[in-house]
Amino acid sequence: MSKIEADIVVLGAGPGGYAAAFYAATKGRKVLLIERDDRLGGVCLNRGCIPSKALLHATALLSEAKESAHWGIEFGSPKINLEKMRVWKESILSKLSDGIRGLAKRRNVEVMKGRGHFQGNNVLRLETDEGQKFIHYKKMILAVGSSPALPAVFDLGNKRIMTSTEALELEEIPETLLVVGGGYIGMELGTVYAELGSNVTVVEAMDSILAGADPDLARPVQEYAKKNFKEVRLKAKVSKMATAGKQIKVTMEYEGKKVEEVYDRVLVSVGRVPNTGDLGLKSTSVQLDPKGFIKVNSMQQTDDSDIYAIGDVVGGLMLAHKASKEARVAVDQLTGGHSVFEDVVIPAVVFTNPEVAWCGLTEAEARKRNIPVDVVKFPWAASGRAMTLDRTDGLTKLIVEPETERILGVGMVGVGAGDMIAEGVLAVEMGATARDLAECVHPHPTLSETLQEAAEMFYGHSSHAFSRPREHADQSV
Amino acid sequence: MEIRLPQLGEGADSGVVVNILVKVGEAVKKNQTLIELESGKAVAPIPSTEDGTVQEINVKQGDKVSVGQLIATLLSSGSAPTSQPQVAATQSFTSAPQQHSAPHAQPTFIPAALPASGGAYQYQSQSGFPPPASPSVRAMARDLGLDLSRVRGTESGGRIGLADLRNYVMQIQAMATANPSSAPQSQPQVAAPKSPSIDFSQWGAVTKKPLTGLRRAIAKQMNDSWSTIPHVTQFDEADVTAISQLRKKYLADYDKKGVSLTLTAIILKAVTVALKKYPSMNSSLDLEKDELVLKDYIHLGVAVDTEQGLIVPVIRNADQKSIFELAAEISQVAEKTRSRKISPDDLKGGTFTISNLGGIGGGHFTPIINKPEVAILGIGRGVPKAVVQNGKIEVRSMMPVCVSYDHRVVDGAEGARFTRAFIEALENISDSDIQLSNAATKPAAKILVAPKVQVKKAGKK
Repeated sequence: MSKIEADIVVLGAGPGGYAAAFYAATKGRKVLLIERDDRLGGVCLNRGCIPSKALLHATALLSEAKESAHWGIEFGSPKINLEKMRVWKESILSKLSDGIRGLAKRRNVEVMKGRGHFQGNNVLRLETDEGQKFIHYKKMILAVGSSPALPAVFDLGNKRIMTSTEALELEEIPETLLVVGGGYIGMELGTVYAELGSNVTVVEAMDSILAGADPDLARPVQEYAKKNFKEVRLKAKVSKMATAGKQIKVTMEYEGKKVEEVYDRVLVSVGRVPNTGDLGLKSTSVQLDPKGFIKVNSMQQTDDSDIYAIGDVVGGLMLAHKASKEARVAVDQLTGGHSVFEDVVIPAVVFTNPEVAWCGLTEAEARKRNIPVDVVKFPWAASGRAMTLDRTDGLTKLIVEPETERILGVGMVGVGAGDMIAEGVLAVEMGATARDLAECVHPHPTLSETLQEAAEMFYGHSSHAFSRPREHADQSV
Repeated sequence: MEIRLPQLGEGADSGVVVNILVKVGEAVKKNQTLIELESGKAVAPIPSTEDGTVQEINVKQGDKVSVGQLIATLLSSGSAPTSQPQVAATQSFTSAPQQHSAPHAQPTFIPAALPASGGAYQYQSQSGFPPPASPSVRAMARDLGLDLSRVRGTESGGRIGLADLRNYVMQIQAMATANPSSAPQSQPQVAAPKSPSIDFSQWGAVTKKPLTGLRRAIAKQMNDSWSTIPHVTQFDEADVTAISQLRKKYLADYDKKGVSLTLTAIILKAVTVALKKYPSMNSSLDLEKDELVLKDYIHLGVAVDTEQGLIVPVIRNADQKSIFELAAEISQVAEKTRSRKISPDDLKGGTFTISNLGGIGGGHFTPIINKPEVAILGIGRGVPKAVVQNGKIEVRSMMPVCVSYDHRVVDGAEGARFTRAFIEALENISDSDIQLSNAATKPAAKILVAPKVQVKKAGKK
């Protein structure tokens, strides 16, 4: 039984945890980073963002190859080598994970493998391969993340019922795949399997897919699904699953009827749950909300004065970049700074085909909260660049505060929207006005011009889209 | 068509409605005055910006209104009436149902172009979002513990920049350190705490009147002057027997020119003579820079009693004007002041103030200095008195003279000397100072005096 003294301990080495550890080390603190997995990087790097994007990129080529026929380029039918695809994907993950380990070393961040369990009195018991260790910490940053939710009725112990973790393993290409939950994870992984050749059926309990995205931004994704998936069922609910030989028998309610079908595989993507279950938090003063997320204030402090929490485990938008931002806030607070997690613009990106991205205020949110806004929408059908890409199924829109012309939100759908939303984040964070955006010269011919043109539309003088001039449009332009 | 309160001028972002000149249903022309607004010490007419019919008047007499606030709703004569005149043909959507549109019509956003007026600014936005500022500016505000909603943003869309933050900090600092050397250390820098409200009706009937903007401005100015300037008041008497006779002699001549020859005009002349001898009485104290600012010009404030209260218009370059010109200008300015047509600029820049209560009566009193000036002359009623002159008792007309001065700037001996210099100058006013022929020989310029007559004015400035 060994006793270890530590200044700052970070539990969990995902994009929240390692960012916190590195930042604290940069600020001159002695940091111990603990991870229960062999590989650093957390869900994002190993079972989330990165592997899914690798697969989406690889499989997108399949649909492009099909579409290229009317550009005058034809391919034979592709041969898919799943084993090779897996190896390629894994190589990215280990490269990134090793990279983090290397960076930790160079920053003198000590990395330990083990499962942490709070013992009370600022002691964390660590179960390691070499036995128990007792870490006496001064300050703790909890970044233990979340796991895919698998409701008990679906948890048959059958590997054909997958969560995102298993789906990313890409064990086989099932002939039929049922995706339960039409959120971003279900739609992204549904896209991967559909491109690989599966007949994908999506079942969503709500009345639209991609909850949180404005309906007009989700529409092109729906169109894609209509064409490439077998079916998208809205307001449908899966009530039961059962093993049926090498298949899964699924019972659902859809359009007032009970439907029984058989699928080769099922992907359950109905949300994520915080990993707070087996941490022994009862021996600390940390409080949980009813869903099991750790309660924190805007400084990321829990109810235990020595414990901070960041990332998925505190709920909200469960996104890697949110976790990294919270890491900065927590470490700043620990080291005498004044950062708070308030009024922070967190962009959301769905890597479907086409991509959907938004930041700041959405149109739906404005309606819901009765906020008067002007909304300008620039259709990509008016973008030369979109035409050359043969992808005019995009839309760029701005949510503008009418009196001040301040940009409150930006929304996009279209190829590359996930990268372009960054400019929207800058605009919203900087308190930019539509005028500011309109005055910035954007390179031609690029999709980024759609942002400038949308801003110009606000004043009624976009070159490529007609809109009625605003009353005060011609004051200075 | 909504008529909103326009920008009023420097430092003024609100006022009290003193008159409503139109009625609902009345047809109005563009530029026709809709309401009169008292702001500071002036009354400003607020014109209609369009032809139309008054549909609704959204303010009432006594209301305090701010820039941007809805004053009246007009039905434009150009456009046909619609069932929903509120909904303009813009592309904006307002998800709020119709009954919610009323609160939205309030000017919740205060334009950034307004001049800074102390620390009272509060950012409000329709969307409920915090004020626009870049992350680095927000971080700095957080570090300094500043509430950004109190900072006026001057960048596009009201965005707060580093310069705005700096201005704000300087402003608070200036406010925090205002008058530290003039006020005793123990005294709080802010205004004296308000006395608690007493229910006077418990002892009998009372009538309550809201304080007008003018009364509040007077109270503030008086409080500031009285609490920050150590006053000394020098009493004396001037023998005005001779000038009373001179005044009577030339009264008719002046009347013919449409000008009333007042004792005040003569007093002003004498004041300019004394001020030239004692320039420190014509100065201001700048504690910020530890400087005494001596002014080469003499702009005399003349206290005018109006129905609403005391107003002090300024006669510029009084030392360069003849008694005739001074008399003409005083009556003109007093008239403008009483009808509240005086512009705020005419109330600024005075170097010394004269308060003549002789017309009303009374003896000596202790006038309060009109800050940032350093002295004021108070005049009581001249009365016949038995005076010993050359060993004999004679009846002379004696006028009470009271000079209050800022003892930080003016020592007692100098105050007394100034008082004597003024009295001597007054007693030595001669025929030639008042005679009109004198004035008429000087180069003339036309000014409008009184509503009806045009007179020639000498001594172009």
